[in-house]
Amino acid sequence: MSKGKIVSIHSFRGGTGKSNTTANLAAQVALTGKRVGVVDTDIQSPGIHVLFGLDETKMGKTLNDFLHDKATIREVGFPVGENTGDAEGRAQLTGKNLWLFPSSIRGREISQILKEGIDFNRLNEGLQSTISEFDLDYLFIDTHPGLNEETLLSIATSDILIIILRPDNQDLQGTSVTIDIARSLDVPHLLLMVNKALPKYDFAVIKAGIEAQFNAPVAGVLPLSFDLADNASNDLFSLKYPEHDWSKALRGVAEAILAAQ
Amino acid sequence: MNQDILDFLRNTEIFSGLADDLLQTVAMSATSRALAAGETLIRKGDVADSLFIIKQGWLKIVTEDSKGDELILNKCGAGEVIGEMALLDSGLRSASAIALEGANVLELSRAIFMDVLDKNPKVAFAIIASHSERLRHNTFYIEKAIDWSLKTADGDYSFVESTQPLSADARANGDKAAELLAAFFTMVRKVKEREDGLKKQLEQLTFEIDQARRKQDFEEITSTEFYANLKEQAKTLRQKRNQS
Ligand SMILES: Nc1ncnc2c1ncn2[C@@H]1O[C@H](COP(=O)(O)OP(=O)(O)OP(=O)(O)O)[C@@H](O)[C@H]1O
Ligand SMILES: [Mg+2]
Repeated sequence: MSKGKIVSIHSFRGGTGKSNTTANLAAQVALTGKRVGVVDTDIQSPGIHVLFGLDETKMGKTLNDFLHDKATIREVGFPVGENTGDAEGRAQLTGKNLWLFPSSIRGREISQILKEGIDFNRLNEGLQSTISEFDLDYLFIDTHPGLNEETLLSIATSDILIIILRPDNQDLQGTSVTIDIARSLDVPHLLLMVNKALPKYDFAVIKAGIEAQFNAPVAGVLPLSFDLADNASNDLFSLKYPEHDWSKALRGVAEAILAAQ
Repeated sequence: MNQDILDFLRNTEIFSGLADDLLQTVAMSATSRALAAGETLIRKGDVADSLFIIKQGWLKIVTEDSKGDELILNKCGAGEVIGEMALLDSGLRSASAIALEGANVLELSRAIFMDVLDKNPKVAFAIIASHSERLRHNTFYIEKAIDWSLKTADGDYSFVESTQPLSADARANGDKAAELLAAFFTMVRKVKEREDGLKKQLEQLTFEIDQARRKQDFEEITSTEFYANLKEQAKTLRQKRNQS
């Protein structure tokens, strides 16, 4: 079995920044020369492809085709390093080993798979064979918010689970349950990441408070930033603006992933 | 030709008490200067040879803070006299003056100014009085500001409750020292508010997880057959990975 690591990115609530974080983390890790894959298992509302410059016209085979036995995983992998386009940030990925495994954005295919439910063994095998076929060091999984069955599966198979939360009570409550689940499923590495923290707060205090609450490491506290909200939709923010506080904190999280053995 | 200058001077604070002939001399020897927005009229450290009376427009009086960033000390407008201090003491400019917008000033040479002072002690008294008043004022405010700074550093905000916020008329009077203190006071109040807000936020962060609900949610998810299978599969998966 391959030694590649599965890194799932999860959050209790929607809109917490999973897709942006996943895409930027994957890009940062790929920049170090690692072989990286990104799977969008948010089958209900896929979104990460946009950050990699993939739109409906360019999208070929998808995860849905694979789950329906209509495509091999090889066919689904979209080589980001060969299709960086002219976006300033993404252009730095030219020649890097990074593949995206997109979910279908066609409404009919989405409702079909939701109706049938996902074959979990197939998805699990799919993840494993993705790692071995592409000889990946890291496979990042962008998930649907909350604890539905696909998400539980991705948590169960992950080597590293990153839970993103906003520093407020609702997220803390939801995150506490996910942490308990991750521990019950023996996930080897659990990392917390705070996103959308109001810059007026002391991030060190937020980090210490959450770590004490959950007895789990906070790998980064990323600020709420209008720069990000304005610029993040179609390029990789941390590549385009490497000196921004959000990007610096994100690189800290990437380092924590690379350090996890 | 100098009539408008004459009328203007008669309405300024320092020269209002001058006899007509002296005022005439001042008006005749003053030269008009137009400034573009952003233009520097006085440069800190330069040798001072004249004073300026602002006819129209606003200037900022600036120096630098320890990081080299511009620090605005004051804003002066029509009718105010600037640069007279350097004529009376060291002779070097203690701050810079920069036009905030298009402005007009009258420049009066040191020689004429000294002559006016000689011939009209009232002007000298007016200047001395205004300076010493400013000084007395500032000393009081500086002492207050020092006291408050020390208290703030210790986290003692008791004075915020026991002090009347400085009145808006200090601002209206152009009393810069009082304005400084008012700004200082506002700053401390905001710092205190932020600190209180942060404390509250942290209390929420640290203490508001409903443990009963957490347990209930956890059990709801883990009691399903799906979960039991998943846990089993995950275990096998991890064992396999560890072996390879
Ligand atoms: N730190 C931040 N500051 C400001 N805006 C942010 C920040 N992080 C993410 N956003 C914005 O929040 C929105 C949601 O981000 P994103 O799509 O990455 O979240 P998500 O968790 O994947 O959402 P979903 O649950 O819908 O899949 C986006 O518009 C994104 O630009
Ligand atoms: Mg998303």
